[in-house]
Amino acid sequence: MVHLLQRHFSHCFTRPASIILLSLSLLLPQLSSASVPQKHEGFPQGVSTITPGSELWREVRQRDLPVTGISQVKGVETGVLINSRGDQWARFRIENPVKYAPMILAAIFLVLVLFYVVRGKVGIEGRLSGRMVKRFTDYERIVHWTLAIVFLFLAITGLILLLGRPLLIPLFGKEFFSLLASASKEGHNLFGPIFLVSLLMMLFSFVKRNIYEKGDLTWLLKGGGFIGDGHVSGGFFNMGEKTWYWIVILIGLAISISGLILVSPNFGQGRVVMEISHVVHVFGAIILTAVSIGHMYMGSIGTEGSFEGMKSGYVDINWVEAHHDRWAKECHENEQVISAEEYARLQGNKPDTAMEKGHD
Amino acid sequence: MIEYLIDGPLWYFSLAVFCIGVLWQLASIVFAKSKTDLSVARGSATGGAWRNVFSRFVPHHEIAPQIRVQVVAGYMFHLGLFALLFFAAPHVLFLEENLLGFGWTPMPHWAFIVASQFAFLGLIILWLRRMLNSVSRLISTLDDHIAAILTFIVMLTGCLALLKGFTELRLLHRFTVELLLIYFPFSCLMHTFTFIPSRAFSGAWFGRRGIDA
Repeated sequence: MVHLLQRHFSHCFTRPASIILLSLSLLLPQLSSASVPQKHEGFPQGVSTITPGSELWREVRQRDLPVTGISQVKGVETGVLINSRGDQWARFRIENPVKYAPMILAAIFLVLVLFYVVRGKVGIEGRLSGRMVKRFTDYERIVHWTLAIVFLFLAITGLILLLGRPLLIPLFGKEFFSLLASASKEGHNLFGPIFLVSLLMMLFSFVKRNIYEKGDLTWLLKGGGFIGDGHVSGGFFNMGEKTWYWIVILIGLAISISGLILVSPNFGQGRVVMEISHVVHVFGAIILTAVSIGHMYMGSIGTEGSFEGMKSGYVDINWVEAHHDRWAKECHENEQVISAEEYARLQGNKPDTAMEKGHD
Repeated sequence: MIEYLIDGPLWYFSLAVFCIGVLWQLASIVFAKSKTDLSVARGSATGGAWRNVFSRFVPHHEIAPQIRVQVVAGYMFHLGLFALLFFAAPHVLFLEENLLGFGWTPMPHWAFIVASQFAFLGLIILWLRRMLNSVSRLISTLDDHIAAILTFIVMLTGCLALLKGFTELRLLHRFTVELLLIYFPFSCLMHTFTFIPSRAFSGAWFGRRGIDA
């Protein structure tokens, strides 16, 4: 990838604008008639095996001289009659993101399946107590789910656009894929800016509690509790959650900015800027999608009691003590723990059977 | 065959259900029997009606902080949808050619995109709040969820068909619109037509009794 980008840059910055390529096209009839042989061995007279004008186009595309000419049309790269690097870019796209994206996503999926089979669901010592603590406000959960819904839509439509040609055309045919790709492109472009707005809402809602602090490194060194024995200390957000937050924010911003560059090609950005934006956008999106699969796993079937936090806004105090002991201490000190009955009343439900069992 | 059905009979059927249904519902409200208020009027019913119609556009200051999210999202969604419905170029053209016989200047494409983004974000936030806030969840009915999801699908299919290159996508959008038209008169979506009369009725009742609400 780096090699290809270097070649892009070297082509862009070393080519002088001295040859009028466009004027060559005016000579096309003369050149083509000159290049057609009068007689060819093995074929009847009058039948040619050489494409007329091939020498001209070879000269336009493959010669060693600069390929930028002069045109009356003013704009980015309007002096280039044929950009041969387009083929290189197409090859790069097919050989890299299109090739590696499914591998990365499949690998993540496989790792999680293996992890679940070997480790199972991460439980809580003493099981769920039923006594709850408020973790997220309505607004924070709305922000989280808005971002999640928009991201999922963008991830699905983005993967259709990226991998549709090799994966979907063999399954559904070209006609259906062209329809699906058109719809995906429109939807993807429309929802992109909504993702950026949701991301900024996420940034401002959660940033204060995601600043790294003392003790986070210990969490990292112990692999979040998977390495060695003993409990790993954590605050309101532990090191893993903070890292996930900053991955979302930073890669999300990179994807959003590169996406805006791609979706608005009329602001003077050239081919190289567009190609770099494409690379950032695609690889950023693949990384974010891969890590988000891990996040979805850990937030649902991977860890007991986690999903409740983003569903109702409340989490079990035993879950807090298992994963966020420093915050649990604050909750006890500030008397923020409520009973199962109070929690059920706030949710408008009867006390949950599982919680009653845990309470017993 | 499907194209003929969606562009022809189903379109006219859904339009008829929508028009007759809405008129029926409004007539049932207008002609509903109510007891004559024999009490002595302490204030102007008309003044109260007008006041209530406009004052309800802004939340009461005492509850404003608690409902800030749905007020902002509500305006985003409703204004965005209004702009899309009446000022999107394909809709203006459709209304001119199929219903009204005249048109008006549509909004530019960039404004269409921004309006739809506002509408989508607003609707997603409103529906999520309905699902995530315990009180909203409890008072929400199946009708509320169907109305929100159906509206979202109609908007989404419309935006997916933006390129206008595929008949199938246009038909999908039109089909979902027809489903919405059929569902509309029998659902909470009727608030499109009833929210002004409803406010006026409550305002008149308050005004006559001298209640400052």
